[in-house]
Amino acid sequence: MSVLSSAPRRLRLLSLFGAFLFLAFNFSFVRAALPEDAPIVISESNSTRAVVTDPTGKRSGSPLRVIPVGARVTVYVTNLPDLLKAEGATAFRADVQDVNGYRYPLEVLSFAPTAERPWVYSLSFRLHDALGDVGDALLRVTWRGMSSNRVRISVGHEGGKIQDDEGSTPTPMPDHAIVHNQSEAVGLPWSGDRVRFMMQAGFGPTAAFELRVRRLGFSTWLEDQLEQKLDLGGIPRYSTYKYPPFAPTVTVPPVDCNGILSATDPEPDLVCFRNRYSMFPIQNWFYREALYSEDQQLRRRVSWALSQIFVVGGRETEQSGRMIEYIKILDQHAFGNFRFLLRDVTLSPAMGNYLDMARSTQQNPNENYAREILQLFSVGVDMLNQDGTPQLNEQGNRIPSYSQETVNNFTKVFTGWTFCNGPECPNRVNGVLNYIDPMAVNPANHDNSQKVLFNGTVLPAGQTPAQDLNQALDNIFYHPNVGPFISKLLIQQMVTSNPTPAYVGRVARIFNNNGSGVRGDLKAVIKAILMDPEARGNVKTDPDYGHLREPALFITNITRPFNPIANTGTPAADCLGLSDGVLNIASQPLDQDAFNPPSVFNYYPMDYIIPGTNLAGPEFGIFSTGTALKRPNLVNQIAPPNSTVVGGIPIVAPFTGQTSNPNYAPCGTRIDLSRFQNLVVADPTGATLIDALDREMLGGSMSPGMRSDIATAIQAVASSNPLKRTRTAFYLVATSPQFQVQR
Amino acid sequence: MKKDRREFIKSSCKALSMVAAATQLRHFGAMSVLAQKAVEASPEVEYKALVCVFLEGGNDSNNVVVPNYTEGYAQYSAARSAQGLAIPQANLLPVTPPAMQGQVYGLHPALTDIRNLWNDGKVAVACNVGPLVRPITRAEYQSGAPRPYQLFSHSDQVEQFRTAISTFKSPTGWGGRLADRTAILNQGAAISMITSIAGTNVFNVGVNSQPLIVTPAPTPLNQVLTLTGYGTAADELARRAALDQIRTRDLDKTMVQATSVLTQQAVNVSVQLSQNPVLTVTFPNTTLGNQLAQVAKLMKFRTQLNLSRQIFFVRLTGFDTHTGQLNNQNNLLIQLNAALKAFYDETVAQGISSQVTTFTMSDFNRTFNPAGSGSNVGTDHAWGSHHFVMGGAVRGGDFYGRPTANGTFFPTLVTSGPDDADTRGRFIPSTSVEQYAGTLSKWYGLPDSDIPIAFPNSANFPTMDLGFMNPG
Repeated sequence: MSVLSSAPRRLRLLSLFGAFLFLAFNFSFVRAALPEDAPIVISESNSTRAVVTDPTGKRSGSPLRVIPVGARVTVYVTNLPDLLKAEGATAFRADVQDVNGYRYPLEVLSFAPTAERPWVYSLSFRLHDALGDVGDALLRVTWRGMSSNRVRISVGHEGGKIQDDEGSTPTPMPDHAIVHNQSEAVGLPWSGDRVRFMMQAGFGPTAAFELRVRRLGFSTWLEDQLEQKLDLGGIPRYSTYKYPPFAPTVTVPPVDCNGILSATDPEPDLVCFRNRYSMFPIQNWFYREALYSEDQQLRRRVSWALSQIFVVGGRETEQSGRMIEYIKILDQHAFGNFRFLLRDVTLSPAMGNYLDMARSTQQNPNENYAREILQLFSVGVDMLNQDGTPQLNEQGNRIPSYSQETVNNFTKVFTGWTFCNGPECPNRVNGVLNYIDPMAVNPANHDNSQKVLFNGTVLPAGQTPAQDLNQALDNIFYHPNVGPFISKLLIQQMVTSNPTPAYVGRVARIFNNNGSGVRGDLKAVIKAILMDPEARGNVKTDPDYGHLREPALFITNITRPFNPIANTGTPAADCLGLSDGVLNIASQPLDQDAFNPPSVFNYYPMDYIIPGTNLAGPEFGIFSTGTALKRPNLVNQIAPPNSTVVGGIPIVAPFTGQTSNPNYAPCGTRIDLSRFQNLVVADPTGATLIDALDREMLGGSMSPGMRSDIATAIQAVASSNPLKRTRTAFYLVATSPQFQVQR
Repeated sequence: MKKDRREFIKSSCKALSMVAAATQLRHFGAMSVLAQKAVEASPEVEYKALVCVFLEGGNDSNNVVVPNYTEGYAQYSAARSAQGLAIPQANLLPVTPPAMQGQVYGLHPALTDIRNLWNDGKVAVACNVGPLVRPITRAEYQSGAPRPYQLFSHSDQVEQFRTAISTFKSPTGWGGRLADRTAILNQGAAISMITSIAGTNVFNVGVNSQPLIVTPAPTPLNQVLTLTGYGTAADELARRAALDQIRTRDLDKTMVQATSVLTQQAVNVSVQLSQNPVLTVTFPNTTLGNQLAQVAKLMKFRTQLNLSRQIFFVRLTGFDTHTGQLNNQNNLLIQLNAALKAFYDETVAQGISSQVTTFTMSDFNRTFNPAGSGSNVGTDHAWGSHHFVMGGAVRGGDFYGRPTANGTFFPTLVTSGPDDADTRGRFIPSTSVEQYAGTLSKWYGLPDSDIPIAFPNSANFPTMDLGFMNPG
């Protein structure tokens, strides 16, 4: 039903609203309960019962007191002051909670401003059949991560025991748009947004990061991060810390570097093996970057996200020297164009080895890479709308985006390429597989028969392998799925597991065209993701917003704000007083062994559904009864409340004797809570301490209940022991389910 | 192409609405998952357990169960010898399944103990199992008959094996749904009916059932879940009280609640898992051996935990042998053989060998036609594969399944032959995952009337009992 065709009907409907109106509204009562940027669902003037109308059928436009089971209904929403032109039904979600506490998502079908009061919008949806005849229930609308007030509706029959939310008041039809007092938006009230930004765009806040963002603003900070950094010699630089120095080496570890000690074999063997034949140096480098690289925070964060989309496993890659060459590709193209990222990933020897393209020939084709580039790196298995939702055909089912036949044709494209080991390869070393130069082609091994790709595109027989490859990658790149598919994955990695289709659509539009006619501009995509109203704004109240912190983010987010430094007594020479970055020993037990994902499906599946819900929660794929208690145990190790020891990730001595020591940590890592300890000395009630932890870790979102629980625990510790009081509070925040979820 | 999609969708619609109704599209009810009733288990419920061993990556079962009679081996050899992927006939471990009318087959040479268990009647093979929408022939497949979504893709076919639903992505797995429907047999249990020693995955998730996840041995069972750092002073107790109290806050936020629920489960279980039972058998110190050792310990602790039914999930990864298959698969099967043997022996020692049924699942079989050659030789993704079922309640020493195009349970090993989906030997399953899982579920205690709920697509298949289990 189009907005125009329904206009007369809507006018009739709005004339009914006179009954609910009264003069001189004061919305301050709503403001007291709701953040000022939350949508408001209209209720009757004298109760919290929603104004509900029937948009269809004979009784169209008439108010409904009891909604038939499964009916399509309309409710009215206001306080959407800066609504974007493109924000329609897909920008909103709605749900109903029944008296038993079950929450049913509703499919929003249409959304439009009302003709008489353009500041009031009608929102139509169908009640899910599963909801049944539940009687009174509470309805909510969410928008940009913000929850509305909850209003009462009656489904099937009137009555039932469901209680209104505490503090809930009538929200009657307003006769003018709500104007917020702008002065309230200045200064501290928005610090929650800044903290969330630093967790989305980087690895968490530090004092310096916070100050810089506050001074520059989000946009300018992003522009600065996106700018190419140069070394002294004018060479582009993609990391702050130097990449691990170990070059690719021989495939079979020699006896003096095989990790097996023998009498003739001195101690450094183990160090050699760990540095060259494991991901150890890369893990440490990564964590040092994450902790300390202020001018590459965004690139590191995006590259880390890309490494979880374009997955290459360390176990199969075997050598740090091989893997780091792959990471350089992700680093370089993190702010580049997706088309070149796709090219360099495809021709990367590490990927060629991991997904077998390096061994796929005309004579013995291997379809592994062809399948995964389509499924995981670009198009996905289902045809998508531009907002990332699956296209459905008339029976309501998904439409596969390709078939085995498509995979067979792409398999032919990717045949013939292998490690560049000829004299023309600049980084060739005798006896060592070349994991530095892009793969090269042996034309004799390339299947040069005709290929039929997406959209009926035909690559004629007899093309060169490079022609085939370029045209096939273009064919993939221009598939309409790529924008929404990649945009959604990046949003899930950085912002929220369940973005609204409207959010995905806004980012996908930028992916498709950055405004200057360029497709695949990742700089523009990253900006669009991080500056979107669904990512920004004050404390989010949509119950489904956010994502579980994966272990690497959990670890960096509980250390970075607290001045992570080398553990006491370290040989400062190695680390200059800073952490050595040996933090994978903390993330591995949480099922995230950095750069060693178990398969091409990453540490966790991106389509993982949280058990018992319909919500995606990728990171919950590795959060289980088996790992849940390891998080508090890690917090206890870093700052033990029940002890006066320094705490932290310990220094682990170099290899001695015959004991292998894969966790060699010359300097260790610890955090410094003395700033917070001063707070609890100055204010023995603990309130100031809790405020600070709430601000810096939870972005000001701590609930009164949680606050009082922590206050009670602080009070239980003698005021003469501010160290224990501080650690107790830090422990309780860092271990809380509320902090595990980045919202 | 368009036409077949429509047909495909029509047939899947029915199943979709059934499961949608079953799962009720609901979010967490407040702490509903935690609701545990403290009812004593009825003493007459006999203990039973299912143990799923997932061979992750897609096990090439073409090299696990091989025809050993002259013409059969010749067909096999013709397709695999030239690239160096055929196992020499002399190395095969001969078995003579009565269902194959006297024809001799051979197991992979690494499976010496499995073969002994076969000879003892404790191991059976379910032939040519894979996801299906309904039984189809090569001709039907090639003319576009309904087939599972995204055939030959790892993630999707893994999911289809784990959910036993191949028409759409199901949020619940068959292990989870089986637990839902048999929860009444486990009343008063101190921990979840389902335990995964290999992380979370959809197999273990039901509408109401959630798995317990524990780490493998050698971590002692009473240390797999512990909360460290607490003393006994008043301020320590206060901190612990606050930790527990915070877990009850902000449950209106879905992911906070999901985190709280899982953490609460871990805390509950950490109290329950107070012992570390000692096993009789020494398990191999391997990935799979350590997982199965932990399974065996939980079984030994079953009486204290008040468990009458248990479902376990363990996995062995590395079967995605696109290259280097001969060595890699051999090493994996050596590990599988030793771990299964130890586990079976331990169930004998615990006196529950007829109450525990162990079975394999895998992404898919691999192409009969090799990829690559020489030391690099491997195989690509395919479809129907053979699986082992082990235990005292198994009617061992035989093949089971549904007839392929040649009338037996075993496909015709010819590329582009009557059982090939295409040209590379992607054998069309004659037996569906539903039928395989259904047979196990029935033994486990799933009432016939609940079969359509646990397996919404079951009506598309002629039987849900393949006969490899003795009635229990």
